[in-house]
Amino acid sequence: MARADTLARARELDRPDLAYIVRFPTADGIQETKLTWAEIDRDTAWATAALRGHQLAAGQRALLTASGFEGFWGRSVIGALRALKVTYGIAEAMGWDHRRTAVFHRELKPHAVIGLSAETLEGLSGGADIGEMFRATQVVLARPAAVPLLRRAGVPAALMTTVGPALALECPERTGAHVNGAEWRVGERDGGLFIAAGEGRGSGLPETPLGLAGQVVTDRCGCGSEDPRVLLAEIN
Amino acid sequence: MAGNRYFEPQVETMPRDQLRARQQERVLELVEYAYGNSAFYRELWDEHGVHPRDIRSLEDFQERIPFITKDMVRAYRARTKDPFGGLLCVPPEELTSVSSSSGTTGDPEFFAEIWEDAPPLITAQVRDLWELGLRPGDVVLSPPGTFRNLMDPGYQALGAVVVEVDTWLGKMHEVVEAVRTYRPAYLQMMYPQMVELEHLADKVDLKEAFSSLKGASCAGQPLSRRMRDRIRDDWGIDVYEYTSAADTGTAWECREHDGFHLWEDTVFAECLDIDESGSREVAAGSVGELVATDLDNRAAPLIRYRSEDLVRLSRDTCGCGRTHARMWVAGRSGDETLVQGRSVVLRDIWQAVEDQPETVAGVFQIVRAAREVDELRLRVGYDPELTADVEALAGRLGKAVHERTGVEPVLDLRTEEELLQTMTSVAKFPRVVKS
Repeated sequence: MARADTLARARELDRPDLAYIVRFPTADGIQETKLTWAEIDRDTAWATAALRGHQLAAGQRALLTASGFEGFWGRSVIGALRALKVTYGIAEAMGWDHRRTAVFHRELKPHAVIGLSAETLEGLSGGADIGEMFRATQVVLARPAAVPLLRRAGVPAALMTTVGPALALECPERTGAHVNGAEWRVGERDGGLFIAAGEGRGSGLPETPLGLAGQVVTDRCGCGSEDPRVLLAEIN
Repeated sequence: MAGNRYFEPQVETMPRDQLRARQQERVLELVEYAYGNSAFYRELWDEHGVHPRDIRSLEDFQERIPFITKDMVRAYRARTKDPFGGLLCVPPEELTSVSSSSGTTGDPEFFAEIWEDAPPLITAQVRDLWELGLRPGDVVLSPPGTFRNLMDPGYQALGAVVVEVDTWLGKMHEVVEAVRTYRPAYLQMMYPQMVELEHLADKVDLKEAFSSLKGASCAGQPLSRRMRDRIRDDWGIDVYEYTSAADTGTAWECREHDGFHLWEDTVFAECLDIDESGSREVAAGSVGELVATDLDNRAAPLIRYRSEDLVRLSRDTCGCGRTHARMWVAGRSGDETLVQGRSVVLRDIWQAVEDQPETVAGVFQIVRAAREVDELRLRVGYDPELTADVEALAGRLGKAVHERTGVEPVLDLRTEEELLQTMTSVAKFPRVVKS
């Protein structure tokens, strides 16, 4: 098949270890860090376990809403969905694309919606009852500004957010968004969150204040995970 | 670079008789496969009294297999509640992903996908990106949207490193700064970004900023000649336009910039004159409707799909040495508007709009409820920084449109930003809208 041959040829190239340069907002403006293929593999394994914790399993469908510049976590989530054999649909996270989210949701009846944004909800609310729409969806992992909107509408949404360059996912316990403790060190200082790369992370990102108000919980989660959990002031 | 210009030289420069033989082989397999696995095709072909055993050559295929249209798939979807419109040839759980069209003309159409390293649309662009000059270790900026699935895996298949930058509307100042910092080799842009750059051009040395680019691509709609010249000559960007290959993939310009290459090992393309009496291949160089058949899609192949794109098609070898057909897009069937019986085409309006300094970016739409109308209603976007007197602009613009079309327009002038914010697609700015 033509595309398979193209990719087989591509695999012969001498490709670098580096996959992304990730730019992220901090208390002191935009900073960058590097993301390698080995790190993406580990992030994918972590995301796979997190999504499995939400009972995602083979044969189900998911809807992922993301933007073009979110591949640094999007690849890991997509990799996780692939590993779990969950078919995913994809729509933009920007508000103007809400109709695509609505059509995917109506037609594919996804088990999980991942990355739902407040902008998408705002667009949807013009023509639909958000609560009615998403209450029947077993897993809703929403961005910070979308979580309170959904919870007010009776949807038990879990938080999905970025903490600097790291992905944070709330488990079904909904007691804070887990950050992969094997890869990142997160903490709080003066009510604000910081992040630093763990020892295995090639970039060696030093402790970096993120300008995000919140807390970090380090006790064992009810789901059994020892990962630190982030509680954002924005939604708590 | 001439020595390694082709990513897959044997395929890209394959003699046409071999290419056609390969297409025939694939088409014969496809017909059998689709009939056996797709409810939509089996029903349609049964209705037309066609069976795979009747199809033994490309000629048989073109003579016997009926066309399909977007509306036919939508109707099947509405009737059966099958989200894939009966096109699916595999159990749904075998799909890796589902992407969709932009849905600018109705509900988005789903594209069922099965893939390993990279999604199908971007994979079919790998050869084009190689032609543009992208090589392992090069830096690219992340694209404005996820389009039809995440694009990064295609860039990364070529060994490129993606820098995550929000390149959507209103961010071009930051994009220019990122370009200065990371010196990318490639950047995907869309029409609104070009309009924004036009606004920055007087304040920023774009030629200096973009000097690291081997090329930038632009898709979603054609650039006008004026805009294209501006990008190439004034900003120093070698811009590669690309367009849809009738939803089977994309068709890109090569470095010759002489038509869009279709990858004919992935698509069987026909350029046809179709009317009530039947269909026929148009003469070489004439405009016809692009009809496409997926040759590399086992999930939900499109077979003899009428794209509504009006194109000229050439199978002559390109100056780049590639043997795959090229097409030139003339427009969309149905884009012509009849105003009290007088034909008005987009090209004429575009020219009139671009001729005014305040509307040089060419942001406009025809507003019509039907193809035949009593008045030509035009919505035009202007640059407020260049527009001292909107009424004076309206007077000049109305006169210019009248001179080119013979029709006095009813103008609705808005700022470019206001008009671009009505987009409901990351790529497409619709030129003809209902309201």
